[in-house]
Amino acid sequence: MNWGGFQSLSHLWLAALLVPLVLFYFLKLKRPRAEIPSLVLWRQVLQDQRVNSPFQRFKRNLLLLLQILLLLLLVLAALQPFWRGGPGKHRRLPLLVDCSASMGALDKPGGISRLAEAKRRARQIIDGLASDQELCLVSFDNSARQRTGFTNNKRLLRDALDQIEVEDVPSDLEQALRLVQAMGRSEPFDEAMLFSDGNFPARVNFDLSFKLNYQRLAAAGPNLGITSLTAQRPANGGWDVFVQIEGSADAEGNASVELLQDGTAIGSERITLARSHAQRMVFQIKGDHAAALRVQLTPDGFDSLAGDNTAYLDLPQSRPLKVFVPKSMASYRLALQGIVGIQLFPQDTSDEASGSFDLVMSDRPQDLGIAARTRLSVGFIPPELQRFVEIGTNASTVVDWRRDAAALQHVELSDLVVLDQPRFAANAGEADLENLGYEVLIHGQRGPLLVRKQESDAVRFALLFHTDHSTLPYRVGFPIFVANIVQIALGQVGLAEANADRTGVLPPLTLAPHHRYEVQGPDQKSEPVTADERGTLSGVRASRVGYYSLSENGAAKGRVGACLLSPTETSLAGVEQIQFNERLQVAVAATLVKSDRPLWPMLLMSGLCVLVVEWWFFQKKPGGWK
Amino acid sequence: MQPLPRPQLTSLLTNSVLDRLQRLRIRPVSRRTSRSRGEHLSGKGGTSTEFCDYRDYVPGDDTRFVDWNIFARLHRPYLKQFHKEEERHVVLLIDASASMKFDGKLELGKQLAAAFGVMGLLNNERVSVYASHMSGDAPDRLPACRGRMNMRNVFQFIEGVDGRGDAPLDRAAEKLLRYHTGRGVCVILSDFLTFGDLKRSFNLLYSAGLEPFGIQILSPREIDPDLASDLRLVDSETQETLDISSSSDLINLYQEYRQGLERDLELLCRRRAGQFLSVSSEVPVETVLFDQLRRRGWIE
Repeated sequence: MNWGGFQSLSHLWLAALLVPLVLFYFLKLKRPRAEIPSLVLWRQVLQDQRVNSPFQRFKRNLLLLLQILLLLLLVLAALQPFWRGGPGKHRRLPLLVDCSASMGALDKPGGISRLAEAKRRARQIIDGLASDQELCLVSFDNSARQRTGFTNNKRLLRDALDQIEVEDVPSDLEQALRLVQAMGRSEPFDEAMLFSDGNFPARVNFDLSFKLNYQRLAAAGPNLGITSLTAQRPANGGWDVFVQIEGSADAEGNASVELLQDGTAIGSERITLARSHAQRMVFQIKGDHAAALRVQLTPDGFDSLAGDNTAYLDLPQSRPLKVFVPKSMASYRLALQGIVGIQLFPQDTSDEASGSFDLVMSDRPQDLGIAARTRLSVGFIPPELQRFVEIGTNASTVVDWRRDAAALQHVELSDLVVLDQPRFAANAGEADLENLGYEVLIHGQRGPLLVRKQESDAVRFALLFHTDHSTLPYRVGFPIFVANIVQIALGQVGLAEANADRTGVLPPLTLAPHHRYEVQGPDQKSEPVTADERGTLSGVRASRVGYYSLSENGAAKGRVGACLLSPTETSLAGVEQIQFNERLQVAVAATLVKSDRPLWPMLLMSGLCVLVVEWWFFQKKPGGWK
Repeated sequence: MQPLPRPQLTSLLTNSVLDRLQRLRIRPVSRRTSRSRGEHLSGKGGTSTEFCDYRDYVPGDDTRFVDWNIFARLHRPYLKQFHKEEERHVVLLIDASASMKFDGKLELGKQLAAAFGVMGLLNNERVSVYASHMSGDAPDRLPACRGRMNMRNVFQFIEGVDGRGDAPLDRAAEKLLRYHTGRGVCVILSDFLTFGDLKRSFNLLYSAGLEPFGIQILSPREIDPDLASDLRLVDSETQETLDISSSSDLINLYQEYRQGLERDLELLCRRRAGQFLSVSSEVPVETVLFDQLRRRGWIE
């Protein structure tokens, strides 16, 4: 068994300093002279002491012995001895530190977070790093970040470790493993070490090519949190706000939930949560104007995670949905007239569109330019698809359709006859449409009949056949289809329902094109961002729960609240075993990782003690050593 | 009207100490006196008026001392004996070597010598003072003198003694006997720190009729050494050096040796009808005289 060793054996040459030490001791030792009346007694005393006292030769040169001991301790410290902690020694070792929201959970009131515990363990490994070993620090939440490359610089590693902070986002282990695997291509390693509370999916779609040492941290304390915050617009025009409260496996007890609108409390409820149960509650508010809601959960007892106790929701002002349908599409206008809460255009004799709309349904290609969050083109091939789809002359029928698509819910398309025959062009296929971002919702005999494209802030549907050339307007499914499109349009503009925005990335915001803005997060850090040519501001990272203020040249432009809303993170559950591809499983390590324990600090402390003893013995102790 | 203060007779002792000394006298263990007539009763028969004993008459005895009243009753001659009053010598030997310069040792020795001298002179004893300095030289001496009128001489001699030289005490005692004759007591004021053979010297003193009264005067540093770290000790007399490393064992051993030396010296004196006392140089002379010496019966 290997008990330990020296990390810097090359410093053994320092032991040669013993020679000058001894030489200088005997050459330079100058005792202070003290004149006394007579040496009579002292001569007899010393003679007696030399005869009778053991180790007299050593005692006579006690100072030299202490100095030799001190030097030996310093030389030993310079050799950097260590006590072997782990079973083996790795040349390179990546350390993966989970910093997702659940890692901020405390173990007890006033205790330490899971991340702090992970950092403490990682620091032990860094402290015990041998001179021929290299560590690489990777932190991950829903994305992975390489904090350092493989390095032996302990100060660099400690600084990087200190910079890791809890991010209020779920964790994604797969991202971290892929990053580490990519690093291994240039700097190979055999094993990686993972410090996490295990709050990530048990199944990871990853081909593990190295050994993973899964060090799961001890479970945190009980936790209650908000896992869902949505609002729906009922028929009366107001909003129903739904709040869901869940807890960790061992969490139970009472809590109060408070709803604040623009900073003013408008509702409050007391809840009692049993173990493994969820509580849902509904608050009803008026929808006559836009509102910024904040839900605050306050558990009565200890709550280990504070990040999931607050949620934000912005509600738009209630208004009718503005829908543009040319008068030539009488069937659509007829179907829309039966739906409440919409405002149909055009209303006058003109058939031209002016202004912006929430939903545009048109069979005229020129209407594609109308600004709208939801568009349905009918009866023609969008220009970007014309290379891949063409209209045939034969009739067509529906082969299959996406029944789970929002636009086709409760729409029965069997036996639908289409006189137009959209079909793929030669050497074209569905993959070409997918490359352009299109999704086929209805498959005809030779090609797609309905496609959908989701853009950053808009959704586009294209019926590649004209409904007037089909039996669709005569079927029950047609008004349902139109109603589905209306619901999608309502959702696009936030008039049907509103969901709280989660942390991670802020939702796309529509602003002035090419303008620069400052985004200030809850941690008061500012980040400059620029809107694109369409005025869309997207990709703004929001890793903390709270409001993100948007300003342009100091002028406030609005704010967006981001909240955790993750049942997984709130549950604080930790997986025992990670399932990788090819049935490879990695279980929690049975023993805590033990790093090599450096002994040089103890040796230095011992040297300091020897120095203090020597100073006290020879300078301060009047009667000598007792 | 207040009386004028008396002038100080000597710098060694205050007038009040001198007043108290007038009422005291040295009390030897055995009454050793010189044959010359003095004021001390000898153990032998003499011509004083104080009756001592009877003994059988032997031819040749002085018939003046025959008790004729007893002869008339018993018809046998008995000789009546009387105490003999002889003079006693008080020899003061001051160790004035360099080792006595430390911490007032010599000053206390001189004060005690002056006190013993005063007591001797006032009791009509012959007082002589010796001060040893250099080992090769004869000791400075004040010849034997008697009577109150010699008090100033004694004071002047003792006041003039200074500490120097390397005279060992044993050699000093032997040299003393070259100049001294007469029986009595020999008060030795020294630290008794000598490599020499004190036993031989004390035997010589004893055989010369002098009871050795040893007073060991040690400085506080010698009684309780204050040592720190490694030291090179230098002998004040010989300038020899000795390297020591301070330790509690060493200090304890030193104390054992010092106390052993005291016991040896006391035994040395007692076996020769003398007495011994060890004092610290920081103890006032009044305390030594009127407390320690008086309680031990040195003076009465």
